[in-house]
Amino acid sequence: MHRLPTLLSGIFLVFLTSWLGLVAYPVLGLGRLAPVADADTGGTLPPVYGGQAVAGQRIYATEGCVSCHSQQVRQTSITQTDIERGWGVRPSVARDYLRDSTAFLGSRRLGQDLSNVGVRLPDAAWHYKHLYHPSSVCEGSLMPSYSHLFSLRKIQGQRSDEALNLTGVDAPKQGYEVVPTAEAKNLVAYLLSLRHDYPLPEAPVKKAAAGPAK
Amino acid sequence: MIENIFPHHHAEEDRGTAATRAVDASVRLPVLVLFGNAVHWLVVASLISFILSVKLIAPGFLGGVSFLTYGRLAPMARDLFLYGWASQAALAAGIWLMARLSGRPLGGILHSTLLVSATVLWNVAVLLGTLAIFAGYSTGVEWLEYPNWASAMLLLSFLLIGIWAVLQFDRRANERAEVAQWFLVAAFCWFPWVYGTANLLLTWKPVQASAQGPIQSWYCGSLLALWLLPVAIAALYALMPRLLGCHLNRRNLATLGFWMLLLLGGWNGMERLIGGPVPAWMTSAGVVAGVLFLIPVVIVAINLLGMSAEKNADAEEGVVIRFLRTGIYALLSVGILGALCALPEISGALRFTAVTEAKTQLWILGAISFPLFAVVYESFPALLGRDCWCASLSARHYWLTFSGLWLLVGLMLFGGLFTGLALNDPTVSFLNITSYSYPFHVLECAAQLLLLAAAVILGINLSRALAWDYLFPKKK
Repeated sequence: MHRLPTLLSGIFLVFLTSWLGLVAYPVLGLGRLAPVADADTGGTLPPVYGGQAVAGQRIYATEGCVSCHSQQVRQTSITQTDIERGWGVRPSVARDYLRDSTAFLGSRRLGQDLSNVGVRLPDAAWHYKHLYHPSSVCEGSLMPSYSHLFSLRKIQGQRSDEALNLTGVDAPKQGYEVVPTAEAKNLVAYLLSLRHDYPLPEAPVKKAAAGPAK
Repeated sequence: MIENIFPHHHAEEDRGTAATRAVDASVRLPVLVLFGNAVHWLVVASLISFILSVKLIAPGFLGGVSFLTYGRLAPMARDLFLYGWASQAALAAGIWLMARLSGRPLGGILHSTLLVSATVLWNVAVLLGTLAIFAGYSTGVEWLEYPNWASAMLLLSFLLIGIWAVLQFDRRANERAEVAQWFLVAAFCWFPWVYGTANLLLTWKPVQASAQGPIQSWYCGSLLALWLLPVAIAALYALMPRLLGCHLNRRNLATLGFWMLLLLGGWNGMERLIGGPVPAWMTSAGVVAGVLFLIPVVIVAINLLGMSAEKNADAEEGVVIRFLRTGIYALLSVGILGALCALPEISGALRFTAVTEAKTQLWILGAISFPLFAVVYESFPALLGRDCWCASLSARHYWLTFSGLWLLVGLMLFGGLFTGLALNDPTVSFLNITSYSYPFHVLECAAQLLLLAAAVILGINLSRALAWDYLFPKKK
């Protein structure tokens, strides 16, 4: 242990164990998981994201959503909470993340888990309103406003179909409207595509488990 | 006149022999620049953390501005703590300790220039990476948010600095290597490997996301346990015996602790994914490693706390020894908390609550930062050649960091326990649980304020020392 080559080779060998197990094995094993055929639709599972959702995933990354929101439903052998709270109908498995560019697993839940937010909250209008002013739809929410993803503009002729129906303090002044920017639309498209309620060979869905969200 | 303004801790003869002075002179500039920048990033990171804690009690605070949202500030603060402060201070501590322990001056002016240039590169990378997160160019990978070019700069800069520490070990004067030297060599070898691998597979050329979970956890675990912690432990092993005037007994135990830390450090991170979307054997390994990790931690405590019990009672208790000792207690707490959180039942209830955050804070701000603070306080008088600290500021810094850290960790533990128990009852709504944690968030704000005040005081103390040295340089 007193000569550099001896010490370095010892260090190298010890380091190699966790590197092989937690880096090389995942890359060669989990990294080669393939989609499975979906008998119902003829497509594949997990489904391919639409173009907007792919762009929305970038917004999810750059806005740091992962700081407060996880995307994983834990095994029932560890905790029942995730499924009982309606965050999913089955535990997440590695194959669920196959279509993502980054696995946003998260480490803290200051907000709710989002792995099935598209199932739980399928209404785009709700998401726009929530992003614009979270506590207007969720009283007591800790989430900050993402109003910078929206633009306030003068109504030209007729009011846009996309304009948010805002009331109270949020309502824009007469003759103006609040519309989502392309970024907000992409982000919401991504959120709506977060649904892992389909069965996979390694993660079957128990029919009885599907209850209403709490 | 000037000398009178500075309080005297060390007698002149304590500053060591001509040989030590030559060693100190050879690394003076890079170590001062690294420590100086590190402390100033610590102030910025503490300020952002304070803003974040206010945002948890008033989500509208500094609201409506894209670059001041919680989601952007949180990774900024975390990365500044990790790369701006801790890693940079670890580089400085590593270079200085290795040079001192090896007893050979760093050769030539070229090395010093190269080291300082690499240091500038490191800080430019941290600054640009931080601004990139600010402006919305984060990668979204936890702890690796800097864009590709910034992380590449960091890696290059590390290689340019770290190589000298390893080379110093090879040309050391002491035949029988010290325990601290092993830890330093291991740490300096590990960082490029872990940082390079994780960036390559997660941000530069990302692998299919189904494989990313274990790599992310491995990275977070090893960054703390195999890069920053070994440097902190090296500081403990290097400074404790000298300051207390004792010898390190039970060297075999230290050897065991060294190899166990290296073996378990990488697997330890998998505890972050218990119950998650990875093969079950991986999380089982994480549970085992998380519990066994207590062994190397306890070995450090036995080796060094036993020593402070042996020392003669009349020796003066300086701020350095207080930082070191609290560092050991923080390390022990990290070991115990880590072992508890690795138990599947506890992880199931508490993994996504503030308890996890408490553990991370205890790692970064406690077990890692306290020994690094000790090195700052020990190295500056030697490098500047005079007692450069204002004793009352040093003491205030110690007490504010001490109380801020334990208050913050205590609040997060209780708050996390509370929300964890409530989360397990599905009849209690999520928003209701959020409202339960409100009082904890308010008090956490106070704890963050203490930590901010501590960082500012250290910043003032250090800037004062450097300014004094610049205005009134000591004659060679």
